Amino acid sequence: MIIDVHAHAGPWFFSTDVGSVELNLALMDRYGIDRQIVSASEAVTYDMVSGNRWMAEALDRHPRLLGYVVVNPNDLATAARELERYQPTGRFVGIKVHTTYPAQPLMSAAVRDTFGLAAEVGLPVLIHTWDETVVGLVDVLERHPDLRVIAGHMGGPAWRAAVDAAGRTDRLYLEPCCSITDRGKYRYALDRVPLEQMLFGTDSTLVDPAIAMGVVLEDDLTDDEYDHVMWRNAARLFGIDVETDTAA
Amino acid sequence: MRRSPLPPVPVARQEIDIDVDVLFGAIPSRRLDASLDAAAGQLARHGIRHGLVCSLRGGLFDACTGNDEMRKASERTGFGPVGAVDVRDALTAETEIERLTAAGVRLLRLFPAEQWVEPDSPGLAHIVDVAVAHGMVLLTSGDLSRFWPSFAGRGARVCFLDVHAYKVADFVVLARREPGFVASTRMLCGPDSIERIAGEVGAHHLAYGSRAPLHDVLPSALRLRTAALDDREWRQVAGGTAAAWLGERT
Repeated sequence: MIIDVHAHAGPWFFSTDVGSVELNLALMDRYGIDRQIVSASEAVTYDMVSGNRWMAEALDRHPRLLGYVVVNPNDLATAARELERYQPTGRFVGIKVHTTYPAQPLMSAAVRDTFGLAAEVGLPVLIHTWDETVVGLVDVLERHPDLRVIAGHMGGPAWRAAVDAAGRTDRLYLEPCCSITDRGKYRYALDRVPLEQMLFGTDSTLVDPAIAMGVVLEDDLTDDEYDHVMWRNAARLFGIDVETDTAA
Repeated sequence: MRRSPLPPVPVARQEIDIDVDVLFGAIPSRRLDASLDAAAGQLARHGIRHGLVCSLRGGLFDACTGNDEMRKASERTGFGPVGAVDVRDALTAETEIERLTAAGVRLLRLFPAEQWVEPDSPGLAHIVDVAVAHGMVLLTSGDLSRFWPSFAGRGARVCFLDVHAYKVADFVVLARREPGFVASTRMLCGPDSIERIAGEVGAHHLAYGSRAPLHDVLPSALRLRTAALDDREWRQVAGGTAAAWLGERT
């Protein structure tokens, strides 16, 4: 069983042809990924409303995929309506927040307010993290006692800071997908962060799952580590019924 | 016992012939065994037969003594020797390139990103000219989209070691007019990055690189092994391009 907690669907503006949802499924099959939690590239990079709508239609056709409602921190009134629309469907199990495209840094007031909205609706948040400000998530989680946050990319090049932060709160989860494949970084995290807070994500279809799969499996996981990282922690965090899913 | 999620690898793809991006020495930013033995162990573990090896000492501290230890390491392991110069000191680099070529070293690695050298540095352009005049093949770090002018229009054979999947189009348009430009596959991490370059300009513009021992090898090796290339293209990327630099037949 493998649950990929960080994936996308839809086209990108780079020289790459990865917009088809069928490619998500083909890559999942190649790497043995059973479930994938995706956000629409359009919602992340351009328009959250049209992108979330496209994602909802795709989720209707593809039961192996679950969705993130993308929230743009610059327009939380619209974001709240998006959450009211999609959370009850049961097909969206989390909130995705990017910081680059909305031009709102991780610790900006807008992003902090976004965490407040997420705490109200009770969904886990996957947020793009790419520098040392990832440690600020510790304060955010202290402020919202029921909030759960995934540090997407595990801080990117600042992965040591992400590990430090995750060691200070039990509601910050780490997800390793990153094109920077510094040797041993996932083992470094496994040895310092409670196992229940470690997740698996790929950034597919923007990035081939081979990259994250290679980073995680390079580090010789024990069977117990493997089970927690690859699916057990994600199933618990997102409330995914694994037995029902396997049967499906 | 759990089942591996990794896809089966055809027999013909189990061995990668040459890794063009291998380093050894010390890494001040990490607590990591970056010895040549560690790098060689990584390569062996992942079915990589041969590496082109450069000294971190040469790139980060002192080119002359770094190149001396690189040549000894190359003789001991049989790995291909790659020299280094410091782009911040183009004058000493002139002498070092003479010394390297006199010793039979045909590959020169540049570290402009690690040495905080600007893309329009006169010293960088001069070193490229001197290396090309000596018939050397260059390997270089740095963002392709910023560093390419120092290598273009000079007849340079150069492998850009940090070409990211996001820069595939930039690389293709450059490679169309620069027959010697090659991209290392390490950061060509998209599901079709390697395939797109091979299809647009040919697999001879690609070479496998891992950056062992600084980086995990499995991600780049697995991506190459699953690449949608035909057998001839795959062998070219997995060693043919680098073998041509070394004057070997493939």
